[in-house]
Amino acid sequence: VKRLDRPERFLYVFCVDADARDNDFVAVVDVDPKSDHYKQIIHTVDLGSKGNETHHWGFTDDRTHIWAGGLLSSRIWILDVATDPARPKVVKVLDDIPAATGLSGPHTYYALPGRMLLSFLGSADGGLPAGLAEFTNDGRFIRRIDQPEAAPYGYDVAINPGRNRMVTSSFAPMRNYGKPFADMNMDDFGSEMVVWDFKERKPLQVAKAGKAPLEVRWSLDPEKNLGWTNCALDSSLWRFEVKPDGSYAFSKAAETGPLPADLRQSPDDRFLYVSCFGADFIQQWDVSDPNKPILHGTAVIGTQPNMMHVTGDGRRMYVTNSLLSTLDRDGTFWVRLIRIDEQGNMHIDKEFDVDLNHFPTGPARGHDMLLN
Amino acid sequence: LIVKRSLLAAVLLLAPAASGRDDDPRASRLADIGPAPEIGLTDTDGTVVRLEALRGKAVLVSFIYTTCGGVCPATTHRMFRVQEALKEAKLWGDRVKFVSITVDPTRDTPEVLRRYADVYDADTPHWSFVTGLPEQVQKAMDGWGMWARPNADGVLDHPSRIFLVDPMGRIREIYSLEFLNAKDVVADMRACL
Repeated sequence: VKRLDRPERFLYVFCVDADARDNDFVAVVDVDPKSDHYKQIIHTVDLGSKGNETHHWGFTDDRTHIWAGGLLSSRIWILDVATDPARPKVVKVLDDIPAATGLSGPHTYYALPGRMLLSFLGSADGGLPAGLAEFTNDGRFIRRIDQPEAAPYGYDVAINPGRNRMVTSSFAPMRNYGKPFADMNMDDFGSEMVVWDFKERKPLQVAKAGKAPLEVRWSLDPEKNLGWTNCALDSSLWRFEVKPDGSYAFSKAAETGPLPADLRQSPDDRFLYVSCFGADFIQQWDVSDPNKPILHGTAVIGTQPNMMHVTGDGRRMYVTNSLLSTLDRDGTFWVRLIRIDEQGNMHIDKEFDVDLNHFPTGPARGHDMLLN
Repeated sequence: LIVKRSLLAAVLLLAPAASGRDDDPRASRLADIGPAPEIGLTDTDGTVVRLEALRGKAVLVSFIYTTCGGVCPATTHRMFRVQEALKEAKLWGDRVKFVSITVDPTRDTPEVLRRYADVYDADTPHWSFVTGLPEQVQKAMDGWGMWARPNADGVLDHPSRIFLVDPMGRIREIYSLEFLNAKDVVADMRACL
C-alpha cells in the first residue's frame, strides 16, 4: 500500500453496534492536533445492515479505497476514502462472497498491485477448510486459493515479495467463533502455519506453532529472512526463520501476557507490540536480536486491549478494545493513544480517550483502525 | 515404425513447450484478471497503438511520466532489464511488446518520449512510448483503473502498476515496482506465449 506521505488527519474505526440492534458503521475520528475537532468523532458511515461483526479491513494498493468485511455476514464493503477523506462513502457492497468463493469469514485484506488478496476463516457453510481469494480492486472475484489438506484453518496472510514467500496462520471457522465463548470448542482452533511459494500460490510447508497463531509479520529488515506470530491460546510469541535448506523453522520465542490478540511492528524493526486481550496491558518486545526477545516496556492501557495501529514514523500507536462480540468481557469501548518517545519508550496520552459508548445507537465495539 | 518414432519424437519435442504454454487461463498459475482495456494512444513514430493489433503477443504495459522523480525511472529501468532478459531467453522480438503510457501528456510529447526512450536504451521497435491529447490519455487511464493527480508540491502522484497482457488480450498479472523483477516477468511471459 502506498505510504501516507504526511501525518495522519483521520482515524477510521470499524465499529460493531454493541447490541446488534442497529446498523454497524465506520467512525471517523479527527486526529489532527491542529484541528478544532481534535480527538472528536466527526462523522459516521452507516453500513446499511446489522449483525455483521464488522472486523478487519485494508486499503487498496493505491490507498484510495478501503475493503472492509463482516465475520458473521461475510459481507464486504468497498469505501471511497480519497474523494473526501473526512467523509468516506460506501461505493459497493459485496453480498455474494460465500457463493462466489466457497468461503466465509473474510479476515485479512492484503493489497496486491491492482487487486486484493483476502484470507477467509472457513468454508461457505461456516466449517472447514478455510482459504484465500483474490479480487480486482473494484470487487470482481478472480480466483480462490485452497489451503493444503494438512492445514485446514485460516487467519492471517503476509507476503515477503523479495523472498517470494507467503505465510498464513490459523484460527477457527464460523461454526466455532460464532458461538458464545463458553460454548466454543477449544479443539476447533488451528495451530498450523503454512509457507507458500507466492508466485505459484502453492503451499510448500506446513508447520505447527502454538494454538491459534494469529497475525503474521515478516521482519521489516530485508536482510532478515524471518517473521513472527502471536499465538492467542498459547499466550506466546513465535518466530519463524529460514533454514539453510530453504524451509522455515518455527519456534516459541517468548511467553507473553494472556491472550495476545494483535501484533504490530515499529517501523525500525526494533519492537514488537503485543496487545494482551486477556489482561489490560500492551507489551513492547525488543527484537533487535531475534533470538533473544527482551520485554522492553509495558503500557497498562485499559481492559481487553486489542487492535493497535502504529503510525509510519513509529511515534504514535492507537489502540481499541474489542475483539469479537462473543469474546469481549467488558462493555465499555474506547480508542486510546500511546506515544512513543525517541528512546522507544511508551507513554499513554491521558488526554486522548475517544468514547465509543454514547452514539445515538448506544455503545459500539471498535475493532480495526486505519489512518488517512 | 519410422512414422511412429517420428510422431513420438514430435510429441517429446513439443511436450516441454506445451507445458510452458497457457492456453487455458483457468489451468494456469497466472490468474485471469480480466480483459485488457484499450490503449489507443500514439507512439513516437505517430502510430496509434491498439491492443487489438497486438493479439498473439505478450504485452507489458506501464504508466510513467518523464519528469517523475519517484517510481517511474526505476520502473522503466527495471523494464529495460526485462527487455535484456527476454533477449537472452530468445523471446524478444515479434512475440512480445512493451508499451509505456505517459500520465503527463501535456509535457510528454512524442519528442520528449523519444529522448526518454533513448536514455533507457529501449529497443523501440518492440517498446512503444505513447501519448495523446489529455482527454485521450485520461480515457486510457480510466480504462486501466489508473489515476494521476498533483500533490501539494505539484509532483504527480500515481499508483505503481505494470500489467501483463496475454496474446488473447487478457490481463494475467499486475506488478508493482516491488514485484517487478526480470526473472519472474520472463517466466510469466513465457507462460503466456
